[in-house]
Amino acid sequence: MNSNKMFFLFILFFSTLISISSNSWFGCWIGLEINLLSFIPLISYSTNLFSTEASLKYFLIQSIASINFIFSILMKMILMKNFEMNNFISIMINSSLLMKMGSVPFHFWFPNISEGLSWFNNFLLMTWQKITPMILLSYYLNKNFIIIIMTLNTIIGAIGGFNQSSLRKLMTFSSINNLGWMLASILISENLWMFYLIMYSFLISIMCFFFQLLNMFYINQLFISNINYSIKMFLLINFLSLGGLPPFIGFFPKWILINFLLSMHFFIITFIFIMMSLIILFFYIRIIYSSFLFNYINLKWMKIFLKNKNLIFINFLSFLSIMGLILSTLIFL
Amino acid sequence: MNNKMIMMKFMFMVIFMIPLCLKKNMFWLVQNLMMLMMFMFMNLNVSIYYNTNLSYMFSCDIMSFGLILLSIWICMMMLMASENLLKMKFYVNFFLFNMLFMLLMLYLTFSMMNLFMFYLFFEGSLIPTLLLIVGWGYQPERIQAGMYLLFYTLFASLPLLMGIFYIFNKGNNIMFYFLKFMNFDFYLLYFSMILAFLVKMPMYFVHLWLPKAHVEAPVSGSMILAGIMLKLGGYGLLRILILFEKLSLKLNFIWIIISLVGGFYISLKCFCQVDMKSLIAYSSVCHMGVVIGGIMTLNYWGFMGSYLLMIGHGLCSSGMFCLANINFERLNSRSLYINKGMMNFMPSMSLWWFLLMSSNMAAPPSLNLMGEISLINSLMSWSWLSMIMLMLISFFSAGYSLYLYSYIQHGKYYSGLYSFYTGVSREYLLLLLHWLPLNLMILKVDWVMIWF
Repeated sequence: MNSNKMFFLFILFFSTLISISSNSWFGCWIGLEINLLSFIPLISYSTNLFSTEASLKYFLIQSIASINFIFSILMKMILMKNFEMNNFISIMINSSLLMKMGSVPFHFWFPNISEGLSWFNNFLLMTWQKITPMILLSYYLNKNFIIIIMTLNTIIGAIGGFNQSSLRKLMTFSSINNLGWMLASILISENLWMFYLIMYSFLISIMCFFFQLLNMFYINQLFISNINYSIKMFLLINFLSLGGLPPFIGFFPKWILINFLLSMHFFIITFIFIMMSLIILFFYIRIIYSSFLFNYINLKWMKIFLKNKNLIFINFLSFLSIMGLILSTLIFL
Repeated sequence: MNNKMIMMKFMFMVIFMIPLCLKKNMFWLVQNLMMLMMFMFMNLNVSIYYNTNLSYMFSCDIMSFGLILLSIWICMMMLMASENLLKMKFYVNFFLFNMLFMLLMLYLTFSMMNLFMFYLFFEGSLIPTLLLIVGWGYQPERIQAGMYLLFYTLFASLPLLMGIFYIFNKGNNIMFYFLKFMNFDFYLLYFSMILAFLVKMPMYFVHLWLPKAHVEAPVSGSMILAGIMLKLGGYGLLRILILFEKLSLKLNFIWIIISLVGGFYISLKCFCQVDMKSLIAYSSVCHMGVVIGGIMTLNYWGFMGSYLLMIGHGLCSSGMFCLANINFERLNSRSLYINKGMMNFMPSMSLWWFLLMSSNMAAPPSLNLMGEISLINSLMSWSWLSMIMLMLISFFSAGYSLYLYSYIQHGKYYSGLYSFYTGVSREYLLLLLHWLPLNLMILKVDWVMIWF
């Protein structure tokens, strides 16, 4: 990560701030454009063919979404003079923002592009890039439309990940699934969404950090390398936490969200959400078979050595995952 | 007298035992500390009418007291039974950590006053079980067994989570003590909340995970599954049925019929088993079927009998799994064709086989007998037609228990055996610790028969 990338990362963070703190819809659009502009150099390495292809596709998709967005905003301004709420225009605005995020039904670029990105860029794509569109979505929400979309998100995120063996694609489908949960949380309250996003970003950051360290991109790589079992336990704990199993900390956001959804009488939607999270849990467990099967045939080709300082960090994050639920009760004293 | 830390101190005892697992040669120390914890816990004052020993979120009434005692006892005996792991040095530290985590989760499950906290630790106890089965099990089929366990239980218990939040939003509290003031006439809620516990118990149609999980688990996994995990379902049912009085009077006959007829089918199936552990697993389903029948009748004899049978069955099944493992360690096979004529080699062990098998078939003076008599009373008072099924279940449970005993102990031994060693004193101690509460607590059973 050299200083060029630092520069673009900085502008990326700034663009989100521009977008969410602007008074006018134009300011939002400006922020989205600067976001696109600064993310492309972060992704593209000129020597790697995959990443240039990914950056090209990303540019295409995001600029189409941006064009849709600015067009719908102008339409809204001209036709309704910013007073009324029109069904069609709100669906247009929401769709363009959903395309920016990689939500269903505009999600096809998301797994595709993530194949060409490194784990850090994936992490940015999965967490930071969601902030702006979600907040803009909350400004002009079309409730019925978003309800359909969030249900579809969870379903497609769960079922789409079924036949994947690439870890990046799996994380992407899990991100689409969690996007469904986040859309549900935005329907209820922005505070709730922020809470969910922070918890989810924490969990995803552990996974991306871990996979970056081990340089793993496919499921079979977990089986053929000689990771010692304490690192594997860390993987186990964090994946189960991501799947939302109590008593790990990943259960916390799902618990809060299910509580609020049920208090608003969204019964069928909650049922679909939790059933799909079971399916996602299934393919997480497929990944962590390497962790809890203690004796399986292990090849000795790939030897992975981790530095000590990373080990301390891993232990700390794992401790947070286990004890987080209990420690978080101290916050609400 | 007004000590706020009474129940919490046991939780802290388990938590502070966890750093002990990281050192070497701590196996027997942890096991002895668990035994100490058991003796400390026995001295609590427990009242019949109220929840006692209230602490921050903990409480203790008769139901939870007995089941916590059972869980500490069985966790202690799990460590005693798993000496093989110590000899092979097969991830001993992680095993100890797993054990303590499981004990912590079980202790918290039974002692929470809050329905949601109960759910949290109910789910939390699944993870150490899964790790036990898939980590320390023997065959490759354990992957499928772990999947079945996890997904059967989770599929049923996530609607339970939804139900708990529905109750919270309607009634504004989910403490066990206040549940008796609420009444829900909502079919879907009833089904979603009960299904979780029925799958855990397990009831006949949703019992498929149990034979798989028991057979593939190592001895400690089987002991904890048979001993306590099934009782989590019973405990949950005992707590929750208060909410659905009117509805369950209408609908409980479904579960009674399914579990009684299913118990009959399962006890027939026990005769066809070749695997020792599979036979014991199916007998667990059969006993739990009668327990479900008893709870669902909603009468006093039923609740009492099911509680007694749960404790008795926990000790008895766990003891039988220990016996099966004793044979397995010597012969490396669980098949009945190989484990026969054991009386020729271990005559003292055949005493223990007989004692535990006779308790399984509910012969006096075991707790199982008391439980079954109460349950027969309750089911007969509910409807005399259940006599047929109960007759058949009792008869066949005697049948397969005797079948298992006589096949394993009597007869000619398998001629392919090379060498053998007789029982070591650790194993005898283990079995004594199983059998002693089971057959001696009948002398003080009035302590459990007088509830509210």
